[in-house]
Amino acid sequence: MTELIVAVLLLAPLIGGLVAWPQRGRRVELVAIVAFCMTAAAGLGLAATVPGAGRATAFGGGVSVDALGAYVLVLTIVVAALALWASPRYIRHEIASGDLRPSDEGHYYALLLWFVATLIAVPLVDNLGLLWVAIEATTIVSALLVGINRSPDAIEAAWKYLILGTIGVGFALLATLLAYASSVRVLGESSDALNWTRLISIAPQLNPNLLRLSFIFALAGYGTKVGLVPFHTWLPDAHSQAPSPVSALLSGVSLVAALYALIRFHLVAVAGLGIAFSSTLLVAFGLLSMAVALPFMIRQEDLKRLLAYSSIEHMGLLVMGVGFGGPLALLGVALHIGLHAITKATLFLSAGELAQLYGSRRLSAIRGTLHAAPVAGGALGSGILLLGGLPPSGIFVTEFAIIVGGVTRGYWWAAGIAALLLALCFVALAVHGSRIVWGHSGPLSQSRHIDVGMALRLAAPLAVVVVLGLWTPGPVSAALDSIRAILGATGV
Amino acid sequence: MNITAIDAARLLDTCSTCIVLIGVLIAGTRNIGRAIWLVAAQAILLSVAVAGVGLATHSGHLLVGSLVTLASRGIVVPLALGYILRQSPVRQERNPYIGPRLSLIAAIVIVFVSAMAVDSSALGGSLGSVNAPHALPVSVAEVLTGLMIVMTRRKGLSIVVGLLVFENGLALAAFSLTYGMPFVVELGATFDLLMVVVVVGVYARRMLTVFGSMSTDHLRNLRG
Repeated sequence: MTELIVAVLLLAPLIGGLVAWPQRGRRVELVAIVAFCMTAAAGLGLAATVPGAGRATAFGGGVSVDALGAYVLVLTIVVAALALWASPRYIRHEIASGDLRPSDEGHYYALLLWFVATLIAVPLVDNLGLLWVAIEATTIVSALLVGINRSPDAIEAAWKYLILGTIGVGFALLATLLAYASSVRVLGESSDALNWTRLISIAPQLNPNLLRLSFIFALAGYGTKVGLVPFHTWLPDAHSQAPSPVSALLSGVSLVAALYALIRFHLVAVAGLGIAFSSTLLVAFGLLSMAVALPFMIRQEDLKRLLAYSSIEHMGLLVMGVGFGGPLALLGVALHIGLHAITKATLFLSAGELAQLYGSRRLSAIRGTLHAAPVAGGALGSGILLLGGLPPSGIFVTEFAIIVGGVTRGYWWAAGIAALLLALCFVALAVHGSRIVWGHSGPLSQSRHIDVGMALRLAAPLAVVVVLGLWTPGPVSAALDSIRAILGATGV
Repeated sequence: MNITAIDAARLLDTCSTCIVLIGVLIAGTRNIGRAIWLVAAQAILLSVAVAGVGLATHSGHLLVGSLVTLASRGIVVPLALGYILRQSPVRQERNPYIGPRLSLIAAIVIVFVSAMAVDSSALGGSLGSVNAPHALPVSVAEVLTGLMIVMTRRKGLSIVVGLLVFENGLALAAFSLTYGMPFVVELGATFDLLMVVVVVGVYARRMLTVFGSMSTDHLRNLRG
């Protein structure tokens, strides 16, 4: 049964993409929706089996989904649903304005489905080598999406993303190799010698030199895809140049997929080397990322780049939280991953709407949005405040938990600096946000109708963020607890 | 064919040394067409070494892996790059960030430093019966040479050549550390490599139509 679910989960978007590729117009939208609904149903069905059994396995252990994997899977489906829902309106406008060619429509939906398929594959596989294959595949497909409109800037962004992504992920392959080299000596050349479930169980017997090198390369390699400073330079370009629904997927879940891979390596390193080595590195790089993102957010001139730098800041916070360890910080990390994903996705969708309305992404051009576009403008304004962590946003709660968790684990200096950086990032976001929302708008390139679907898909995720800040329903908090337990497997 | 472990080790050592020497040559050439064929030669040597160890250890998946390497890295990828190159008006790396002579010297320095710094015995020694002490330091040198080429070239295709040198180094490292990865992983990685080259080719052609050349000099608009 699980085999069938996994097959539908991966094959529906792959085949749907093949069908969609040559089509145009309404028909391609229909194909994409049908394919996505099938994969979403399969994914949610698979994730639903995890809380009871603790883990869903299929194909002789080749597929192994624990609570953390199920969480990443569900997040991917939720953000993909938002992105797909927003796509028809966005793409029709791009085609009408001549930024995309009519034939690109089928290609866009096909690539979007394939991108979702590669993202879904990441939390499914148990083998660190196949995990690498899946992550590299996300880069390849999304690079095509980033440059789908053939403007010079989009080509530049896609090129940088492709080259830096491939090099970065190449180092992650080296990390995988070193992990394999260490485990082959213990397990022999068996096919499960790269399965992280096996690696963790035999970690104390692994060669510590190989394991240490392996984690360093994983940090540089998957850190590139997570957007950790100094490997982040591709991120603001790719996330700002991509079509906005794709930006939502890139910032919302593709960073999380890479973070997931990094966390798996961290857990193996913790099991084999003790908690100090990898945790210290994670805290240091997380803090550095937050510190470097701040000045770029303050003097940013492009709305989508502002959001992209904020993603670097939040990924830094998450990586630092994982490094802190301890139940409080890890619970914060678990919830923060999801809240950031849906808030950032919503923000990119409303930013895309505004950029099309104003015909520009420049912050100096997008002013007075509350008057010009009440729905998208309102969503952007409130989303920015929620993202910055203004209570009652759930992000306030998770940031607070990570910081306090860090202090209780003895990282008071890092936690203190991070708290200061979070406050400054909030101020930067709030200043930009207030100008966008209240400022005086110039003449607009066109007016656009408000549609109910758009209002719903922008408002609902933000409402979820607020509700989760005030109240976590029983099943959600049980799920978060089991994710926290996985994140802190041996460290607590 | 009867190949002993010692023969295979000698073959692996020889091939990996030739691969890194070719890597140095690639670092020192401006001619993109020549660089593409040198990378193809590296891949062929890599597949020969893999086949040798496969025969010595009677491992079928290494033989298949060797054929896959030969077909993808040695034939398909170079032909595809050659096809893109023929459409480009400029086939020379005109003004790289550091000149060919300096980059040749830098590549030689990389080889020496890697040979001195990387001690494969510190990582637990080689695996099994085939003991080739040079393969690991050489693959590290190859990875670093590829990285240097990527960072110092301006033409899109030269950067791709650097990427392939980097990937050949990774493949050699995979091989010298563990005799390659489990077979499905290797297949997946090879498929990814092919797709990267396809997508890079797509963008190289777009650069050609949008900018009139494949120089990455056009790509410096996005800042801050």
